[in-house]
Formats: sequence, structure tokens, C-alpha cells
Amino acid sequence: MAFLEIDGLRKRFGQVEILKGIDVELEKGGFLVLVGPSGCGKSTLLNTIAGLETITSGEIRVDGRTINDLHPSKRDIAMVFQSYALYPNMTVAGNISFGMEMRGVPAAERQKAIDKVAKVLQIGHLLQRKPSQLSGGQRQRVAMGRALVRDPKLFLFDEPLSNLDAKLRVDMRIEIKRLHATTGTTIVYVTHDQIEAMTLATKIAVMRDGEVQQFGTPAEIYNNPSNLFVADFMGSPAMNLIPATIGTSGNALSVVLQREAREPISLPMANAPAGLSAFQGKPIIFGVRPEALTDPEGAERNASHIATADCHIEVVEPAGSDTFAVTNLGGKGVVARLRADANIQPGTNTPLAFNLTKAVFFDPATETRIR
Amino acid sequence: MSAVTTPARQASGGVNVKVINRIVIYGLLALFALFYLMPLFVMLVTSFKTMDEIQNGNMLALPRAPTFDPWLKAWGETCVGLTCAGIKGYFWNSIKMVVPAVLISTMLGALNGYVLTKWRFRGATLVFGLMLFACFIPFQSVLLPMATILGSLGRFGVTLQNATGTSFGLGNPTVNLVFVHVVYGIGFTTLFFRNYYEAFPTELVKAAQVDGASFFQIFRRIMLPNSMPIFVVTVIYQFTNIWNDFLFASAYAGTGDAMPMTVALNNVVNTSTGVVEYNVNMAAAMIAALPTLLVYVLAGRYFVRGLMAGAVKG
Repeated sequence: MAFLEIDGLRKRFGQVEILKGIDVELEKGGFLVLVGPSGCGKSTLLNTIAGLETITSGEIRVDGRTINDLHPSKRDIAMVFQSYALYPNMTVAGNISFGMEMRGVPAAERQKAIDKVAKVLQIGHLLQRKPSQLSGGQRQRVAMGRALVRDPKLFLFDEPLSNLDAKLRVDMRIEIKRLHATTGTTIVYVTHDQIEAMTLATKIAVMRDGEVQQFGTPAEIYNNPSNLFVADFMGSPAMNLIPATIGTSGNALSVVLQREAREPISLPMANAPAGLSAFQGKPIIFGVRPEALTDPEGAERNASHIATADCHIEVVEPAGSDTFAVTNLGGKGVVARLRADANIQPGTNTPLAFNLTKAVFFDPATETRIR
Repeated sequence: MSAVTTPARQASGGVNVKVINRIVIYGLLALFALFYLMPLFVMLVTSFKTMDEIQNGNMLALPRAPTFDPWLKAWGETCVGLTCAGIKGYFWNSIKMVVPAVLISTMLGALNGYVLTKWRFRGATLVFGLMLFACFIPFQSVLLPMATILGSLGRFGVTLQNATGTSFGLGNPTVNLVFVHVVYGIGFTTLFFRNYYEAFPTELVKAAQVDGASFFQIFRRIMLPNSMPIFVVTVIYQFTNIWNDFLFASAYAGTGDAMPMTVALNNVVNTSTGVVEYNVNMAAAMIAALPTLLVYVLAGRYFVRGLMAGAVKG
């Protein structure tokens, strides 16, 4: 039995259904990231776990105990808010110990707990300051301290890094990951940033319009997206989703990609998914991540199935660690990720290697994966 | 100026126009300030003059031999109606009425604002809209119905007195006035606090809920300590209104020992016996106006902005 279980959770505001039957579970010590575009219901889902929103139907269990109807303070959870929500009239120490004060913990014990948390987060020198005297990163730490001090069963993070600048965000991300590794707490984390999701999670739930689109480990989500939305949403730069048709070359299937003013590319598929044969002569969406589309010298050595085709390079973007090249296939701009020192010029025709073992296919009508 | 003037002339013309504008604006402002300050000036100088000087001298002249006697007489000796013990008793009457009325109406307004924004219920907006009506009802239209209600409360107080030995203040004119002013003030105080709490970060309330704070603990520990600016505004507004109220005061406590300052002042000035003591009248009026001035001076210092800094974001 999993530590956190959410079964058929539905949430309705009047006539509008915000959450349409969510089923998610998480093992003890796991890190679940709810990710999706704004308005997908991820924050509402987190609030229902916290008890700040009621649910219409379904069940939420933590450690075998149903917590649906418990008051937030009785759920043994702690929450870090997007805006940190530090009480401006209290000192840092007061903020951290407010929850204990409300539960009637004696002052000496509170002080001990504050000191312990301050040591972990290195905020000992800030304890007597007011939140207005702290920097953004320090406020973030205090907000985490307020959650840590409770030693709860479940931590809830609501987009905790979205108010920080880019550099600090990366630092705090690593810090959260380290905190999770050292304390072994169970965390549910909401973000719209798919990089945060990939780097932090042990399980990801990709959400859209109140439904979980795919639930799995980061690697599953990244390599085996179950539909077009997940494929498009996860990964940066995004997966190339190219309109194509299925043809035959010899007795194998091939993917036919249209090119501007030239004959189409035909990529022979050695180990096409079984479902693909039904699409012969029909349009499909061919998905290939930028790192699976590269210069032939930089292509993965042990990939079993690589096809090379000449492509017209329109734009070259050297990004330091990599060079991105944009070509046009099937009427769409397609990004290829090349080695930093790849010799490539815009306006030329250059051979690019398609790593077809990593390619995925979608039905354009249903947007689902063809397996 | 025509459109063909050179840029240089345009610039110099601009400067001249600017200077003239400034002169006109500041001149007008000074004139209006003078216009408003003149009566205050006359009141002040008159209150320090003797009757002789008032009758024979110039209204605007400074007192030749300033004296505090009119102030002392107004405070302790002047006649209000038939009793001649000064206005001091009535001054305290007003204090006893204003302080509870201001505090109760302000606290209720804060509580209403808190519920209407942070504990939204179905129809909260409608309830708020209806409460706003209280701000638009003319005072005169409730005089008689309110008198009937106060009368009933008074009779109930007598019943209580006979049954339990205490009326719990029902029927007491001061308590009546506090009641009326609280009921009348709630509309305004709710408006003030609701609009302030509307912008108050709801995440603070959620965080406190997760921390296990109850409804009233959140109100007392989170909302109120962060409401200083609007609290001060509401207190100033309510204090000024209730202290200066004459209509309710004269209608429900117009005679007798519980008469508030405003009614007493009216009775001092309207005395029909003997000479009109302008200096005493002016001193009494100044005394009546002092508390509201004092509230502005003292409370205005706490009128600081940016108390919410650091609550959310950076």
C-alpha cells in the first residue's frame, strides 16, 4: 500500500469541474511533482490534499488514514506557499514556531526545535529579524523552516521557486533535492516548470484540464510520453512533432517527411511499433527530441537504429554547451541539437542523423501514442 | 501664441507661463487657506479676550491682556441650561460614549471584513452590498423607528431591573447612543476593512490554518496586527463622526445628565439669560473641538505605509 493515495478525486466549483477523477499514489519518501500549464488544477489538487479546499468526491489517504474531512492542522502536513506567506508581524523565530505555539508546545521545546531547524537551513543569524528585512532566498528558507519544524508526514510545496530569480532558483532547487535526500521526507510539489519536475521528482503527474495525462517516473514521462500533450510539454527545447505519413520501403515501414522544394525524406523503420502498420498511407505525427536529431559524428554510438538524411539548415544557434540548428520538415521548424563544435553553416544542406530508436509516433486525430 | 514661433521663443514663453501658473495656484491656495483659517483665528483670539475688549475692540485684533479665565469658566462654571457647573461633565459624557462606540464599531467592522474576504460564503457579495446601504441611509429617516426600538429596550431594561436587580445598561442614554452609533458605524467600518482585507494575502490565512490557528486566533494574531493603517483610518473617521454627532445626541440624550458635549455646547451658546459671553462660548467650542484634533495628531503618526512589506514576494 502506498503512503499517499488519491482515489477518484473530483472537485467541482458550481457547474465547473476542476478536477475530473484524479488517481495518484506515492511511496513513502517519494517526491511527487504535479506539473502542467496554469489552470490545469494542480494547485487545487495540492490544496485539497492540504485541506484548504473541500473535495466533491473521492478519497485521500496518508499512511493508511483517510484525511478527506480533517481540518488542515489535523492532517499532519506542512505547506510551503508560492508567496512564502510569512507572517509580517512576527520575527523569523515567531514564524517558525507559530504552529507549535498554536498546538500548545512549551516554550523551551519550541526554542529547541527552532534552533535545530535554523541549523539545518543556516538561518540562525536571521531568527530575530522580521520578514521585511530578508532577501528573497532567505524568505524561501524561512518558509521551508516553518514546514520542516513540524516534522510532518507529508510536505506540500506550491510553486515555491517561482518568485526567485533564475540563479537562485537553481540553487534552491538543489537545496530542496538535498533536503529531500537527507531527511527522507515525502513531498508533493507543484510547479509549471518542467525542468523542476524532471530534476526533483521520483514520480511526475502531468496534468491538463483537471485530468492526469500521464503518471510515471521522470524517465518514463520523458522517453515514453503517452500522448501529444505530454510529449510537447516535457523537455526543453521541446520535442519536435513533425507531421508525416507512413509509407513502405521494401517490406519495412518508412516515415515520409515533406521538405520544402525538394523530394520528401523517407526514413526506413527497422523496428516500428506494431500499431504503426495500420497507418500505412495515412498521416501521423512523428516525434523526435532535439538530442535524437544530431550531426552524424555526434550521434549516439550504441543506438541500434540511426537514419541519416540531408536537411536544409535555416538557423544556427550556438548556445555554448551545444549548438542548435533549425531546419524545416513537414512544414514545421525542427530543432536539432549538435555538438558545440559541430561545423555547420546556415543556408547549407547538411546531413542530420535521426536516432529512430528514440522516435515516437502519435495519431493526429486522437493525439494518443501509437504503440 | 501662434504655431510659427521659433523653438527658443516657445521655450522662454513656456517658462513664463509656468511661473504665472505657479503664482496663480499658490495665490489661490493661500487665499482659500486664509478663508478657512480666519474663523479659527477669530475663535482663538476671542476666547483669550475679556468681555470689555470684545465689546469695544476689533474682532481680528490680538488680545491686549490674554486671559485664561474664559477657558476656566467654560470648563467649570458656565451655565448649561439651568445647571451652572461648566461643560466638563458633558465632555466626559462624550468620552464615555465615543470610546466604546468607536472601539466596538471598528472591531465589528474588522471582523466583518475578515469574514467577507477570507471566509467567503455563498452570497457574501450580496451581504456586503446590503451592508453598504447603511452608508447611504439618511440619519433623519431612522430617528423615529430607532426611538421606538430604544424605548422598547428601555422598558425591557426596567423588567430586567425588577427581575434581576440590574438593567445591564438597557435604557441608559449613554448606552443607547453607543448602540445607535455602533449600528450606524458598522456599514462604514465594514466597507473600510473589507476593501483592505480584499488585498490582504489569503495565503497568510491558509498558512495559519495549516499551522492550526482557529478562526479567532487568525483574526487576532495575523489579521489585526497587520491592519494598523486601516485601523487608524477607521478610528479617526468614526471618532470624528461620533464626537461631532448632534442629531442622535439631541434626539436620544438631549436632556439630563447623559447629554453629550455637542448638545451641551448648543445649550451654552443658546442661553437666553444675561449677556452673551462670546469669549466663554468660543472657549467652550474650542474645548469641544480639541479631541478630534488630538486624534488626528496622535493617530496620524501611526499612519505609516508599507506595514505589509515582507509578507509576500520580494
